[in-house]
Formats: sequence, structure tokens, C-alpha cells
Amino acid sequence: MSNIRAYRATSNWLCSILFLAFLSLNFNTVSAQDLEAGQKLFKQNCATCHRIDDKMSTGPGLAGIEERVPSKEWLYQWIKNNNALRESGDAYANKIFNDNKKSVMTQFQFLSNEDIDNILFYVKNPPPPPPGEEQVVETEVKEENPLLWLLILLVVFAIVVNVLIGVKRSLKNLLLEREGKDALPDVSHWEAFKDWVSNNQTKVVVICLILIMVGSKNGFHYLKDNVGVYEGYAPEQPIAFSHKIHAGQNGIDCVYCHHSAEKGKTSAIPSVNVCMNCHSSISEGKTTGEAEIAKIYEAAGYNPESREYDKPEKAIKWVKIHNLPDFVYFNHSQHVVVGEQECQTCHGEVQEFGYPMHQENDLTMGWCVDCHRETGVAMEGNEYYDKMHAELKEKYAAEGKTTFTVEDIGGLECAKCHY
Amino acid sequence: MSTENKYWRGVEELQEDPEFLKNAQNEFPEQVPVDEFLADSKLSETSTSRRDFLKFLGFSTAAATLAACETPVTKAIPYVVKPEEVTPGVANYYASTFSDGNDYASILVKTREGRPIHIEGNKLSAVTGGGVNANVNSSVLSLYDSTRIQSPFKAGVASTWDTVDSEIINKLEGIASRGGNIRILTNSIISPSTKAVIAKFASKYSSGATNSDELDVAQNTANTANVQHVTYDAVSNAGIINANLADFGKAVLPIYDFTKAQTIVSIGADFLSTWLSSIEYSGQYASRRDPDGEWMSKHYQFEANMSMTGTNADVRGAIKPSEFGKVALHLYNAVAVQVGGANVSVGDVDNDNGVVEKIAAAAADLVANKGNGLVICGSNDKATQSVINAINTMLGNYGGAVNIDTSSNLKQSNDSDAYGLVNEMTAGQVDALIIWGLNPSYSMPADWGFDEALSKVDLSVSFTGRPDETAQNCGYICPDNHYLESWNDAFPRAGEYSLAQPVISNLFDTRQSAASLMQWAGLGSDYNQFIKDYWEENIFPSSGEMLFGSFWNKVLQDGVYSAKAEVAVTPSADGETEAPTAVGSYIGDVIAASAEIGEISGGAWEMTIYSKTGIGDGQQLRNPWLHETPDPVTKVVWDNYICMNPLDMKELGFNTSIQQQRPADVATVTANGQTITLPVVAVPGQKRKTISIALGYGQEGVAVDGVQIGQNAYPLTSFSNGTISYNAYDVSIVGTGDTYPLACTQTHHTMMGRKMVNETDLNSYKTKGRDVWNPKGEILDAYGKAQPFDELNLWNDHGIKTGHRWGMSIDLNTCTGCSACVTACYSENNVPVVGRDEVRRNREMNWMRIDRYYSSDADPLSHSRDKGDRDYDAMEIPAEYPTRVVHQPVMCQHCNHAPCETVCPVAATTHSDEGLNQMAYNRCIGTRYCMNNCPYKVRRFNWFNYNADSKFADISIAQDDLGRMVLNPDVVVRARGVMEKCSMCVQRVQAGKLDAKKKGKPIVDGEVKTACASACPTNAITFGDHNDTGSEVRKTTESERAYHLLEDVGTQPNVWYLTKVKNSDEMRHVAAEPAHHHDTEEDGHGHDHEEKTEEHS
Repeated sequence: MSNIRAYRATSNWLCSILFLAFLSLNFNTVSAQDLEAGQKLFKQNCATCHRIDDKMSTGPGLAGIEERVPSKEWLYQWIKNNNALRESGDAYANKIFNDNKKSVMTQFQFLSNEDIDNILFYVKNPPPPPPGEEQVVETEVKEENPLLWLLILLVVFAIVVNVLIGVKRSLKNLLLEREGKDALPDVSHWEAFKDWVSNNQTKVVVICLILIMVGSKNGFHYLKDNVGVYEGYAPEQPIAFSHKIHAGQNGIDCVYCHHSAEKGKTSAIPSVNVCMNCHSSISEGKTTGEAEIAKIYEAAGYNPESREYDKPEKAIKWVKIHNLPDFVYFNHSQHVVVGEQECQTCHGEVQEFGYPMHQENDLTMGWCVDCHRETGVAMEGNEYYDKMHAELKEKYAAEGKTTFTVEDIGGLECAKCHY
Repeated sequence: MSTENKYWRGVEELQEDPEFLKNAQNEFPEQVPVDEFLADSKLSETSTSRRDFLKFLGFSTAAATLAACETPVTKAIPYVVKPEEVTPGVANYYASTFSDGNDYASILVKTREGRPIHIEGNKLSAVTGGGVNANVNSSVLSLYDSTRIQSPFKAGVASTWDTVDSEIINKLEGIASRGGNIRILTNSIISPSTKAVIAKFASKYSSGATNSDELDVAQNTANTANVQHVTYDAVSNAGIINANLADFGKAVLPIYDFTKAQTIVSIGADFLSTWLSSIEYSGQYASRRDPDGEWMSKHYQFEANMSMTGTNADVRGAIKPSEFGKVALHLYNAVAVQVGGANVSVGDVDNDNGVVEKIAAAAADLVANKGNGLVICGSNDKATQSVINAINTMLGNYGGAVNIDTSSNLKQSNDSDAYGLVNEMTAGQVDALIIWGLNPSYSMPADWGFDEALSKVDLSVSFTGRPDETAQNCGYICPDNHYLESWNDAFPRAGEYSLAQPVISNLFDTRQSAASLMQWAGLGSDYNQFIKDYWEENIFPSSGEMLFGSFWNKVLQDGVYSAKAEVAVTPSADGETEAPTAVGSYIGDVIAASAEIGEISGGAWEMTIYSKTGIGDGQQLRNPWLHETPDPVTKVVWDNYICMNPLDMKELGFNTSIQQQRPADVATVTANGQTITLPVVAVPGQKRKTISIALGYGQEGVAVDGVQIGQNAYPLTSFSNGTISYNAYDVSIVGTGDTYPLACTQTHHTMMGRKMVNETDLNSYKTKGRDVWNPKGEILDAYGKAQPFDELNLWNDHGIKTGHRWGMSIDLNTCTGCSACVTACYSENNVPVVGRDEVRRNREMNWMRIDRYYSSDADPLSHSRDKGDRDYDAMEIPAEYPTRVVHQPVMCQHCNHAPCETVCPVAATTHSDEGLNQMAYNRCIGTRYCMNNCPYKVRRFNWFNYNADSKFADISIAQDDLGRMVLNPDVVVRARGVMEKCSMCVQRVQAGKLDAKKKGKPIVDGEVKTACASACPTNAITFGDHNDTGSEVRKTTESERAYHLLEDVGTQPNVWYLTKVKNSDEMRHVAAEPAHHHDTEEDGHGHDHEEKTEEHS
């Protein structure tokens, strides 16, 4: 009973705390609306160039902005039309302009003073850092070691067998004793086993043969299915790049970075300058903070403090995940542009893959061929196929076939991929 | 009497050499080399027992299995900042210019991820018109030669540019201040900007400092009192220039236009292979070898050695080197008689192969086509060239096929200047010598004593990019870039310009030589800017363009620029300015020339020293592709040798048949006080009692397996009458008793005496039906009904009627045998180089071979395989001077009923519905059944892991970190134990299709070309979609000349050959089948008579 009482006491406590919290929220209702509007406006208009803390982005960080500037009135003018303010000869405006490498700030004449107040309020009351649960994007799934379990089972099995042998022996001795015969001689298990083997040679041979046959069959199948097949291969990479954040959460098109997928045979890992298109102004991520993005800066020779490329460049040595053998010719543009295949068809739902990226499919020839057998060729609307399409329709007129798969146009022939 | 022409692959086949016959029956002349399969030759020496071997085997299997379970970690390293124009996996093409002082070609360089990997011709060029030769398209491999000099050297020790520059400038200034002599010795430079640099350099160091301002730099006059630029070519054509100076008052090289020459008479000029602008001439020549064209040229060739050009001639006369001048004079007299000129006295020529009649026929043809003929001569003798000028003048050929108003700049050698320079040096009068593009220690006549002369020069600088004999004696080596790393321009002939641009940054610490001179002349080292400035000042004004920037960008993109108006300033041979004038009247003296020629008399043996296809003057001797490409005539690889008529060889007791177990005999030749020891090779058609040796071989340090490649023939040249003579009129030849294992592809891959080359004459072609000269073969079916070969099938057809059907046609009429296709194939398809020893074992890997067949009229019983019936002596006679020679490129024929496909136990070779015979290397298990079953013998087996086996470390490009960069990333490098063969450049076909699909347009004919078709300077190879009724290949294959190789086998190939039509006497025709024999035999009789009468007319 005492347990139940204690539980009730705790829940009472919790209720009162929640009530208090609710009250405090109520107190802040007016400010919260400002905060929300401010946050929205900030993200729409300011976040491209300004950070909410004191760090430099394209423009200076906004933390403590109200304390820095001459007056709030000045700030209204500056935000609405900084150009006019500068031209009026305002000393501070020109100083700011010169301090920031004379990069021109966009004019926000549509913002009302109230809007600006809301933004400033948001800047003054920055949101708390993101909750900790998102710190780890992927909880590492630690695979249990099956070998350990096997060993344990084996030990248990050996003990059981040993006990059973002992029991059998004791029983037999009992029987012999009852029959008045001598007890069995005390031989080791090994000797007993050897005796058994020499007395049952045919059985041993048959058992061995069966073992060999089963073993080699399984071994063959294992090799056949697994040599050179690296499905699920997910090596550690020099940078903990997450497709989930880029392609998933931010919805960046695959070919924005992997642009050569539309042009050539490789989809190509993007060069560092492509990363810098965005990361020159995004130096901090939600999950890994600055650590991983700093690696991009190091590779690009970029100094985030001075915002200049003043350091030596370093190549990033990614680990290749999708390794086709050298004797296979695969062309991305054939599949992406002509075949109009989604990247996901072969690579899986990459936009949901976190770090580390893995190989979704086995990339075996059987897997390729299966798709070539089933996938239709979009011949309509591509003049290249016009003549061929007419010829094929004529050829298959008896069957009334008008659409054709990759196989029908020779997509299974060796020299389509092997040369 | 004989019934048909007999073709044979070499003397061995003709003579039914027992070893040849034995090998001919075996596809694999050797047993399988089990020992060598174990790769480590030491294995057989150790006491490894069978048990041990099995243990090793067991271990390695286990190790391999274990290793296979682990994922290999492959790194992928993207650019940090990707260049805008580079897309990984997509090739870029840049226009550039090849010019090495011998060959000139405007080219397109294919680069992948910034690495040049293949060279093709630039179709925009008005000079070379998209053609290349083996020398040009192999040059991409020379870029990756790891033996190139990698930094500047000072007194044999690696140095830095700063040190070298400051020291050289110091010394030059010292020499200039005391009025010392500075000499720049170069090969022919056709870059106007480079000449301007040399001129500026000369003015800077000219001693009369006050006069330097007055120097007219714009005129490219590089010669001041103490600074002189001397031009000398290892293979010189100074004779022509000197003769033109004497006869027309202009020291120039004429422009020849073979499209205007209805009659071509060449005396020793190998104009399709190495003579002057041979790429250009090949294209022009071929355009007039179309039997369906307006007219077909008739080509007479008189020469001592069997040159590649000689093999293409309609009429060929074998003459001695001492008779070159005499033959020219005989021709002069024969023409003069008919056009009313005076005869000059001339001695008789040796008439053992009807040369006198042939000269008369040539003269008659020339006169009949007065003004539309062309007489040329390859001799470097001024008097002989003077006679040639007189003949061309008499015939009014100037202004037609030969033009001296506008001149060619390709060759500018002034041999007597060079001789004068060496004498000056010997006398200690030269203080500084800069050597550029030349290796005079190696290439000058021995009696000039260049090495000793060089030792007397204070400051010697070599610009060579490769370690050579001269550089090691020079004080400084300032290594030049490879031309693919350099900026340059070129002015091959009046009105035609081209640009060269770097396609890769410098691989080593080298510097372009023009930039070195600029540095020393105080002009900075930005040669690119210098060229731009030069063009803006001198070439741009005549273009009529508004902005230089756009003009420059367009020329750079096109690679070539044709000046609209004739430019006034024409830098010529000696740097003097020549203004174009009207056709000069001939002021030469034929009588004096004939007297000079009369002084030449031959000894018992005579010799020509020639430059051969590919190797040329030897600048690319370190290039394995060129070595592995068989000589077009002898089919020997990896060596030079003494060419000799087989009958002479028999008299001297030399082995005329090179086999794997029968090496060539070695002989020592003495000429001009120099000796050379080389193996002797039988060349039917070589003039009796003459020998020929190729230049360019025998450079120090260029060796394979420690054996130097060939011997140097340059020291045997001599200097006479102001020019280098490549003929020796009195030589002795003595067998040494040694033998040498030459490698020769000549007797491999026999066609077993079946009909391969179909040939006819122009008259038969025009007047008789194809039943006579290209009969359609028929075969009896099971019901006794005659069926055309193409229609009787044992198997079901492949689906080649829908979609594409890739086909190729090869015009035997325009194929000259130049082998540009062979090297192009090496470059495009990563074909391994296997070396001399492996070729000797018949294991060459080239996907495309060019069969060369000699023909003859004497074969009494060609269809009898019974040896007893044969008259060997009668068969021997035509081997002396074969009347016809044919080149036939053979690659996989892509048979629609391929014998190879049906025997593969693992279906590694299959047929595609596009007509290609496909080879899946990863599926092949190496049974070689396909190779055995191929009637064309085009399949190649990887006996070794050429890209890893230490045996091939010297020659395999794939074993060198640098050399590997030339590999085509779209084509697999094959491993040991798999079969390979021509894929019809399936990677190009696939790329072409993909391109069309992406554009959404049908493939335009000509967009997809195989590497061989693209390289061919004569357009003999046509490739395209045979199902496209408008395609060029469809048209050619519907021609009456088209036939399939060995069509009676019923393979139905996708490669067609076009019957060769010679513009010569009527010939007998090969009957299609025995049933026709009787008719052709009668024809044969008739034609034989006609032939005789024609020859005597």
C-alpha cells in the first residue's frame, strides 16, 4: 500500500509543477507572438546573410545589434533603405559598409517598424539549442556477434554431452554391477571415441562424406552469392555527410550536387566548390555542429574567420561505395536522361539514408538484367527511336506488341556493358 | 600457261618452305608454354615437387578466397575546385598541331579528365584534311615517356632553371660583348612566332649593339654578323631547294597537288609514307584513285628499295641508286623527243626488269597529259632535282600539280650551312651553340666529326626533351616540353596557319624552348602571349575580323586559319623574305646537270638509306606502338635490317625465310668508310645488287631487354655537292656468320591459298561486267540448286534487319598500307604491346593487321596441293620483281554467321542484333576454340598478364605509372588467359548512340566512326549503319566492286572489301570457282599477249 501512496504523492507534485509551468506560459503569451512573428520574418528575410549569434556570415551576426547601433530609429532606416542612409553621409552607416567589404545589403522597405521590432525581439531571445535527441542522427545498430553465441552454445552442448556420457557410464556400471560383472575400464573420452571410430568405420566414412558434400555445397553457394557482392556496404567516410539532411530535410535535388549524372558515365562525387556554394554561409549544422563543415572548409582552403580562400586546398578522400568491376561499363546519363530513371531505383531511398551512406542493392548482373527485362523504353517523343520503333512494331505485328522493353532492343547483349 | 594470279605472303609461302607449310596447318605454331604460364621462370629451376606445387596451389586458392571476402577499399577523390570544362567521364577535344620537322598535321587531341589519350586528324585543315599517320597518332604515347629529361641539367648534373638561366645569360652576354659567335642549330621550324623569337634573340646578342635597332625583326632575319640560325634536317630535302634556287632563283620547296596529277612519275620519292607532306599527299592521291571518278591517275614509280609508295604504283621499275639521275635524264629525253626539245647524252640503265620500256610508257603518258602530270624525285642530289625541274617545265606542269609560286615551309634544311657550321666549330670559331630539335652527334655523317667539333665550343646548350647522344656532350640541357604541353603556331605553307595549344600541364620541370630563348633574350617567358602579339600584328590584319580576341578564340578552337589574301611576308628556307612572283622561267642547265649525273658510277653493290613509315628520322624511337606496328612492306617489327633481293640472298647464302626457329643471317655493310652490322631480310622487288637500310634506329640507351633497337645508319650518309646523300654507290657486304632472331609478322595468319584480294585493271573494270572481275560466288544447296553465298544459311539469322547494323567497307584501291589505322587501334583499344620475342612466337596482339600480298603471274598448278606437280623454279622468277603488291587491312569481320561464336563453350563470344560480334572478356575461360575456328585469324589471345608480368616491364605502357595515363578509360585492360579481338570500337558506337538518344535525334551518318576509319588519311575505311539506306557504307557496299573476304565460307561478314582497280596493263582474274576456270584460262592467254604488246608500245 505504501507504494501506491508514494505514487500518488509524486503525481500530485507533478501536477502542481505542470500547472505552474502553464501559468508562466500564459504570462508570456504576448511576447511569444512577437517571438513567433519575429522568427518567421527573420528566417524569410535575414537568415540568408545574418546569423542570430555574433558570428560572421555574409553579413555580421545580429546578437547585441541594438546595443551597437546609434539608435533604434537609425536601425529602422538602415534596414528599410541602407543605401539612402549611406548616401545621406551617415558616418556609422558608411563605417558598417566599409567594414563589411562594401557588400551591399538588400533593402527591406516593405518591413514595418513593428516587423523590425519583432525581428529584434527574436534576435534578443534566441531559441534554445536543438534538443539533444537529434544529436545522434542514426543510433548505431550494434550487431550481436553470432560467433559468441555459437561458442556459448557449443560449451553448453559439450557439458551436456559430457554429463550424458557420465550418466550413461554410471548406469551401465550399475547394470554391470547388478549382473555381477566388472565395471567398465576408466578410459578417456578420446580413447573411447577412437574405439568407436575403429569399430564403426563405414558409418564414419558416410558421415564424413555427407559433411563434405553439405559443406562444399554451402560453401559454393556462399561464394557464388557473395564474392564481389557488397550489398549494404557502408564504409566510414572522411566527412560524416548525411543524405538525409541534404536530400531529405532540405530537399536538394540529387543532380544539384551529382550533376555529371546527366552528362557522363559517372555521377561523380561533387567537388568541394559545389559544397561551398551553400556552406560558405552555413557553417554550423544541427547535428554535428561545426566539426564536419569545418572539414569542408579545410579542404577548400577556406578561412571562415576572414571569409577568404587563403589556405592550401586539400583533397577529400571519400571511400567509394558503389564499386562496379572494371569490366562493366555503366553510364549514368543513359539511365538518368535517356531511360528517365529515378536515382532511387538503383540507390534506394537515399533521401532517408543518414551517415554513413550505404549500398542499397547488390549491383549484380542478375539484378541489372532483371530490370532490363522489365523496363519499357520510352520510344515516343524521341526521334532517335522512330525508325526502330516502326520496324519493331512491324516485326512484332503478329503479337500486337507496341511497347518494348530494354531487352527487346538488345539491352541484354554482352557488348552493351562489357567492352 | 597459268590460269590466274598467284598471291603469296612471302618468299616462304612461295617456296613452300617445309617449316612454313607445317606452321600454316597449325594455328598455334608452338606448344602451349606451360613453364611460362607459371610466370616466374625461376620456378622451373627450383626443386619444387608436385606435392609442393599442390600445396602452393591450395594455399593460394585459400588466400584468394579469403581475400575475396573482404571489401576492397577504393578511394574516390573529387576535384577541390572542378574546372568548368571538365566533366568526369566525358572527353574533351582540343585542336592542336603536330610538327616535328618531318611530319605536319593539324590534329584533334582527345582528353579525359585532363589527360590526352588519343589523337585524330582535324578535318578543318586545308593541308592535312583530317588525316594523320602512324607517327602523328602515336605521339600521344611519347608524352608519357618516363625517360624524358625531367629537369634542366648543367654539366650532366640536375640543376634548376634559375641557375641555368643566369649562367647562360652571363656567358652569352660575355660572348656578345667580345663579338663572339653564337649559333642556333635547329631542324626545320615552321612556326613564324618561333622564328620571330629567334630573330629577337639574335638581335639581343648581336655584337654591333648599335646596329641591333636597325635589325628588321619583322622580316624574321635571324642572321646577324655573329648570331646565326642554321637549319638542318636529319632527313634533308635540301637538293630540291638548291635546285629551285639554281633553276628558278627561289630557294623554296614547291607545293605539290596530287589531285591535279593525271600521270605521276616518282623516282625514289616515298611520297605516301615519309616524303615531305606525306599525309597531305596520301589524301590527294587517294582522291584520284577512284575508278568511278572523272579520271584515275596513273602512277609510275622507279626506285631501288620496295617502298610503301612503290607497292601502290601502277607501274614500278626497280633501278639502282646510281641510276636515279640517269632515269630522270632518260625520261627527259623521252619527253623532249615528243615535245620538241633537245636530247642530252646519258648512259644506259640496267634493264633487267623492263625499266627502259617503263620510262618510255611514263614519258608517253606525261606528254599525253601535258600540264596535268607530275614528276618528282626523292633524291637529295641537286643535279637530279634540276633535271626533274626541267621535265616539269617542259611539260608545263608548273601551275598545275606543282606550284613554286607559293611555297611549302615544311623542310628548310640547308646542308652546306650545317657543314660550314661544323667546320667553323672545328676551327674553334664558334663560342656558343644552341641545338634544338636535332641530335647531330647521332644524325650527321660520320666524317663531319661533330662530336669533336662540339668539344671546341665554349657554351653548348641542348634543348632536347629526351636523353640523346648530343645532349650528353653539351654543357647545359634545357629540356623542351612535349608538344602536347606547349603553345605554338605553324605556317606549313603560304596562306595556311595553325595553332598548337597545351592539353596538359607540364609533367616534368621542363620549359618550352621558345620560352627559354625569350628568357635569355630578356623577353620574359610567356610564349603564349608572344604568339598572340605576333598574330595580332602580322596575321590578324589580313583576316578582316573586327576584334582580335574573337579572331584568336576562333582560330584556337578551329586549330587552323586560312589567310584570305596572300600574305606578303613569306618566311622561307633561309629566313629571307620572298615576295610571290610569277612562274619563274627555267634558267637551269640540264647539260651541266647531265654531266654531273654522268660522273656517278655504281660499284658491285649499291645502297639506299631510307626513312620508313612510323619511325621516320628516329625522334620517336622510344615509342613501343611504332615498334610493334609492322613495316608496311617487310612486316618486320622492332628492328632495322638490310633489305635485299631474295635472289641475291641465295647467291650470298643468306636465309631468305625468317621463321621462329630460323633467324635471319647477319651481314656487315661497309660504305663511305663506315660499317654497320645488321640482319638481312628478303624483299622481293628490291633492285638486284642493291641493299637498303632504314634510318632512325640504333640510338644509345634505347633498348629492350638490354638489346639496342636496331643500328644507326646515319653515319653511312655522305656529303656531296652541297647536300647530304642518302645513297651510297659503292658498298661491300659480307656475311658475319652470325644469326639474329628478327621478329616478323609476314608469314603468320595465312589464308591457305584461298582468294583474299580481288584485283582488276581499269580497262577490264570499265569495259567488262563484274562477272569477269568480281564474280558473285554461288554454292549448291542440298537440292543441287545454286544459291548465292549470302543466302544459303545453316543457322537462323540474327535480328540485324531492325535498328542499326554496323558495317564497314575497306577500299583496297585507296588503302596505301600506311598503318595509321593500326596505331590508332593501339591507342583507342588499349591493345597491349608484346615485344620482339613474343611477335617471333606469333603472339602479336594488334587487332588490326595489314596483310601485304605480292602477286605474280607464274604459278603453273595453283590448285594442286601435290608437291610433285610443282615447278618451283618457274615460281621463283617473279619473286625478283613482283609486278603487283596489295595491302589488305584485316580485323574481325563481325560475321553474321560467325564460326567463333558456335564453338565457345561458355558463350563468351556472341552476336548482337546490331551485327557486332561481341567478346565478353570476363566470361572467357581461354579455350581458344574460337581462335582456332576463325577463318580470318583475327582473334588474339592474352598469353601473359602484359600489364603486370616482369617480362614486359620495358615495353608495356600499362606497367609504367606515366604510361598508364594514356589508356582509354572506356575500354577494359584485358587480363591473362582471355581472348580479344576487334570490337568495331563498340565503345564509340555506344557513345554515339547515347549522344543521339540524349539529343533525341537519329544518328547522322559519319557521327560514329571507328578509330581506324577516323585515322585513315585516304578514307579507305568507311564505317556506318548499313541499315541506313543513305549511309556512305551502304552505298559503298552496294558498289559492284564490293565483296566479302572468303565469302565461300558462308560467314556473311559485316565487313566488305572493294575490289582493287589498278590503272595498269590488263591482268588475269582469279576465278570464283573451278567451274569458271576454262574461260579465264583463255582470257589469260589473250591478256598476256595484250600485256606484252602494251609494254612495248
